Amino acid sequence: MNLDLLFKIAGVGILISVFHTALKQAGKEDMAHLCTLAGFAIVLLWVVQLLGQLFTTVQGVFKLF
Amino acid sequence: MEIIQIVGLGFIVTLLILIIRSQRPEIAVQLSLTLATIIFLLVLAKLDVVLNLFRELAEKASVSQTYLNTILKIIGIAYITEFGAQVCRDAGEGAVAAKIEFAGKILVMVMAVPIIALVLDTIVKLIP
Repeated sequence: MNLDLLFKIAGVGILISVFHTALKQAGKEDMAHLCTLAGFAIVLLWVVQLLGQLFTTVQGVFKLF
Repeated sequence: MEIIQIVGLGFIVTLLILIIRSQRPEIAVQLSLTLATIIFLLVLAKLDVVLNLFRELAEKASVSQTYLNTILKIIGIAYITEFGAQVCRDAGEGAVAAKIEFAGKILVMVMAVPIIALVLDTIVKLIP
């Protein structure tokens, strides 16, 4: 199963928070927010794909459609 | 075997969520959502086997498929509703979770109405 996705998301989360603080220290407040937003969008992309897979599987198993 | 893998995964990801929740709460919510989805996908394969067994038994007992399909649909709706409501409640949105559960109850009731009508008809026929 795609367990590596979990650790990828955790990695991206930690990286974002580090970048955010680093950029804020460097005085680039707007870049920090943009970087956080970008990381959030990437993680959202992975999560939405996984949710799509979950919902199609549930429809298949429970004959919901 | 399976359950040890799942529990271990749950612990690891819970600790990761704790680290991330202080800095980036929105990523923590997505992480817990991903974990819930992965665990359910792991278990779903086994659930499919059980449900197929129920279908075969229903055919042998010549129970009509509509009952079993409705029951399976209701179980599916109940599960997805609970999944969504719980994730929203974890993220701190109690009101959204309550609305999702409310919608789920209505949908289940809509599914159940034909069966209730059928049961009442059979009862009325039994009374001479």
